[in-house]
Amino acid sequence: MLDKEVYSTALKDALDEMRNACPDIQNAFIFTETGEIIAGDADISEKVMIRVIDAFDGIMERAEALGGIESVTIEGDRGTVTLSRFGENYLITAALEKADMKYVGTLTRVLIPTVLKVLEKLSPTPTKKAIISPKPAAEVEIEPLEVKEEPLEEIEEGARMEKPIEESKPEPDSTKSTSEALTVEPKATQLMVENLGGLRARGFLFPSDTVRIDSEILSEWENVFGGKPVEFVDIETFDGKVLRCKVKPIKDLKYNSKGVVQMSEKMQLALEIKKGELVRVKPVFE
Amino acid sequence: MTRKKLSEGVAAVAESVAVETVNTEDLKASLEEVKGYDGVIGYILRNSTSAAIELKDPSKLIEYAILSSSSLDAGEELSELFNLGDVKHIIINGKNIKVLSMTFSENKISVFIEKHGDLEKVLEKLQSFRG
Repeated sequence: MLDKEVYSTALKDALDEMRNACPDIQNAFIFTETGEIIAGDADISEKVMIRVIDAFDGIMERAEALGGIESVTIEGDRGTVTLSRFGENYLITAALEKADMKYVGTLTRVLIPTVLKVLEKLSPTPTKKAIISPKPAAEVEIEPLEVKEEPLEEIEEGARMEKPIEESKPEPDSTKSTSEALTVEPKATQLMVENLGGLRARGFLFPSDTVRIDSEILSEWENVFGGKPVEFVDIETFDGKVLRCKVKPIKDLKYNSKGVVQMSEKMQLALEIKKGELVRVKPVFE
Repeated sequence: MTRKKLSEGVAAVAESVAVETVNTEDLKASLEEVKGYDGVIGYILRNSTSAAIELKDPSKLIEYAILSSSSLDAGEELSELFNLGDVKHIIINGKNIKVLSMTFSENKISVFIEKHGDLEKVLEKLQSFRG
């Protein structure tokens, strides 16, 4: 059984061999679509790799407009950086100006997919699962909360401020019927507030009534509720403020599987919370 | 003496502005020509004072504008990280669409091309502005 370390070592060796075959490749590393670094050469620090992933973040976020990304090439006077997609993995190579980019391209397109395929065959566990060990988000049951008197203002059309939840007592088992899946009380998940990053934070259009959370959490909720898609969630602060808003999966690679909920600063203001604070997020099935 | 220097400075600035204007107009003319190439679906040209956007499908405007900005930002960041020097161009190969982004002094451009389009031809045409 291949574990994370073996998998990573195998890919690191492949990268080293690639650099041996073509010394003009200065740096190379591989990361997953969730932003997890799998393997990198010895000459590149993790800090730099993270900055590189961040640099591509904005492009990745808008990749849907192009039907998804296959590769990105940045050519400069003194060298070329290339991002190549191999399934759920991305390879970054930085090569010197004198490098034969056709040869580099051929080498990477042959070597990396082959190694990935071999590893996949040796271990049926998908790369993503083998590498990522997401921090499980702490799950808590929503307890009845005190009702605050003052109504909260709406911050955006579509985002509905509500009074704190009153009827969130656990339902007795006897109430469960054949449509159990849809009557189960949704569990709240405790997540840490994170700003909507990148371009969104710079004021580009993004609905401020929408939050982003880990796609795995959304999938779990959907599974529990018979595959019904989760379109809305209640964001509940520990002060008892509740905001109902739309939800979408996190696209920023670095925030996925980190137990965070990304929301606009406007929304944070409305909830009187800030980045780093914990909130409860509960799916809403209407 | 001082007045002479001042007038020389003003003249230099005026010349520089004039050259820039000419370049932008030339660039725009070339982009208009490129727009007629097979598979080219539009372009974005922007600088500190203006922007020109020509897209066959205006509904994609925001997505493409953000992509254009993101790719140029990524180019600058990665150039710094890997010491790439001046970025000549950035090419995003999407499954359906390709994007070519370039910077010419203060003019930033992105050309959007369908998968089957000839990106090399566009690149060749625009590279002439590099001098």
